[in-house]
Amino acid sequence: MKKGLGKFSLFQVDPDKVWADYDITALDFEAATVEEKEDLIEVRKSVSYWRDAARRFKKNTVSMIALFVFILILLFAFLGPALIPYDYENQYRSSQKLGPGEYSSQEELIKSIEDEVDCMYATALQPGSMTALDPHDYYFKFKGDTYAFTLDQKLAESVIVLQGKDLSIVKNSQINNGKITGSTPLSYTSEPSDTAKELVVVKSVFPHIVGTDSQGRDLLARTMYGTRVSLIVGIIAAFIVLVIGSLYGSISGLCGGAVDFVMMRIVDLMYSVPDVLIVLLLQVVLKDPLQAWFDSSDSLISNALSTLGAGIVSIFITFGLLYWIGMSRIIRGQVLMLKKQEFVTAATALGASNARIIKRHLLPNCVGQLTILTCLQIPSAILLESFLSFLGLGVSAPMASLGSLCSDALGSLTVFPYRLLFPGTVLTILILTLNLIGDGLRDALDPRLKK
Amino acid sequence: MLIYVAKRLVAAVATIVLIMAITFFLMNTVPGSPFLTERSTPQQIQLANEKYGLDKPPIIQFKNYLVNYARGDLGVSLKMQEGTPVKTILFHQGKFQLSARLGVIALIVALLFGIPLGCISAYTRGRWLDSILRVVTTIGIAIPSFVLASVLLVFFGVKLGWLPTISGTLPNWQSYVMPIIALSFYDMCYITKLTRTTMLDAIGQDYIRTAKAKGVATKWIVLKHALRNSLIPVITVLGPMIAFIITGAFVVETVFSIPGIGKYFVQSVLNRDYTIIMATTVILSILIIVMNLLVDIAYKFVDPRITLSSTDE
Repeated sequence: MKKGLGKFSLFQVDPDKVWADYDITALDFEAATVEEKEDLIEVRKSVSYWRDAARRFKKNTVSMIALFVFILILLFAFLGPALIPYDYENQYRSSQKLGPGEYSSQEELIKSIEDEVDCMYATALQPGSMTALDPHDYYFKFKGDTYAFTLDQKLAESVIVLQGKDLSIVKNSQINNGKITGSTPLSYTSEPSDTAKELVVVKSVFPHIVGTDSQGRDLLARTMYGTRVSLIVGIIAAFIVLVIGSLYGSISGLCGGAVDFVMMRIVDLMYSVPDVLIVLLLQVVLKDPLQAWFDSSDSLISNALSTLGAGIVSIFITFGLLYWIGMSRIIRGQVLMLKKQEFVTAATALGASNARIIKRHLLPNCVGQLTILTCLQIPSAILLESFLSFLGLGVSAPMASLGSLCSDALGSLTVFPYRLLFPGTVLTILILTLNLIGDGLRDALDPRLKK
Repeated sequence: MLIYVAKRLVAAVATIVLIMAITFFLMNTVPGSPFLTERSTPQQIQLANEKYGLDKPPIIQFKNYLVNYARGDLGVSLKMQEGTPVKTILFHQGKFQLSARLGVIALIVALLFGIPLGCISAYTRGRWLDSILRVVTTIGIAIPSFVLASVLLVFFGVKLGWLPTISGTLPNWQSYVMPIIALSFYDMCYITKLTRTTMLDAIGQDYIRTAKAKGVATKWIVLKHALRNSLIPVITVLGPMIAFIITGAFVVETVFSIPGIGKYFVQSVLNRDYTIIMATTVILSILIIVMNLLVDIAYKFVDPRITLSSTDE
């Protein structure tokens, strides 16, 4: 623009002179070169709505960092449990109330043997859970060799170690200063019998990175599962709100008149109902009937829902009943604006039904709003779920959510603060990143709203 | 004006009756009875039901509730403090007063810190103080109240030992500090953010430029012109704030062992003490609804451009 003006000013146009007075002939002009012609062609391709939004979102550093952290949390919740040998419900006897990075006496024993000899330990169960071994034939594989042995008596609180080629059973009391003393040698055969049980071979003990709870469950594993539960609850609840809120809002907006009036008065009334009080009641009320339904029914839906538990399903119901109001109001406003536009008139003139207009014309035009609202609904759903779980409603043990983990830790807060701080921090970061992503999406999808 | 207030009052009464109906319906769909314990016989339950009128058809029971509530009779506790009038439990044992005191102080603290911080943030826009405030408020509205309460408890109560870990009935000023911070932090951050936004909005207006052109000092422009106009949206969030503080009270009273109404409500829900659930729900709902009404009227007084005739947003 500036450049063009500069060029133009070179001519020094004098308004008093006529064009011919300048004495310009065709020879005074140069033909444009190919490059110059190409310069004038519009080089920018047309950009779709989503691509444009993505471009704006990528420019937003804060939102991009939030997105990155959110992806890390997703990996933590969905991939993490596969990486650690503990799970959320297994209670490891003698591993209760461990601090971050601490080992139980059993695990200390294993570790000390580990340092002392070229060996391993084997148990019939999970690593760290040194429960009793029943009298039976066992076999296990170590460094390519198969070892089989027979146990004549029940053995509790003991480890089976391999030292050179000697199998021995080490009891807790027989470890002194990291040395194995008085271990009982055990005869072994290399061929397992047909009925032999396989032992899980573990060469090292995985640390309880953030400790265990009072039942001896690994807290890191529980937090991973809890994050997963909280995320699933948030996403499903936001989806329920999306469906109900957008349908209610668009029907109300499109129909207008008396229908709109009645529908909006219902919304007004529900808006003034103190939601949390009703939610608390709903939680208590819905739990038993839902549980009864899960127990009696054997359909696909009830089985799928019962794995989530009655507490979580009643959270979904609560969201379906109470939390679509905000969404429906905003969508109604959008629809009121859109329905006056020509494409809706055209669709009506062509005989499209109301359902088709909502599905084909109105909702696709609200997609930006819907995305933003849904994204901002997820953290609020997570927050509500954690709030309910913290008060002792919501998910029930052994299932965990971030809120129920905090609730479990509350009783021993003064002694084991990390039990609350760890899931609490994950929860805060999760909500923070979702809020920031939502803000970024709002700026990207609806630039008019940007302040 | 009067017509508007009358209309809103009618709507408020309708809402409260609706809330009572929802609460009653929900309580009655729960299988089992508040009198069901391991030792109770069917005869005992039957007797207790008759004593408290729970054997009557639901519609009669609901009618009784409405009539009694209109008379100011909240009934007697069925389980937690059996036979004691609910009014005595909630008001004469100091539960309501305890929660109300905490809630009001939290509200004042949130406003007293939130608005000036928002002004400072807008005033120093783009500088380090603004950046710090924005980071703190962004984290503040993401942190759940129970996490904040617990962090405070661990840090100031256990690690440093400055403040008591059990606030109880709030005997001294130290016991107020942590519950108040935990209750008001979210609202304070929200108000700070909101004031900053509306303040920046106001600063861009023509009348500010006029004031500047007249040579008014920046300090006075912010205090007299910008602040007054940017406070209007802040008033609208006062209604939801009350609801938020009540919600927060459930958690904060649990964490700091304060025997207030919030903690008692959660216990009564878990114990199915119908009369206490109903009374607490109604009292808290009235509180929220009346507050919303007051906010709407105050809104009209502060900003004459707003008409009260339409009920739409």
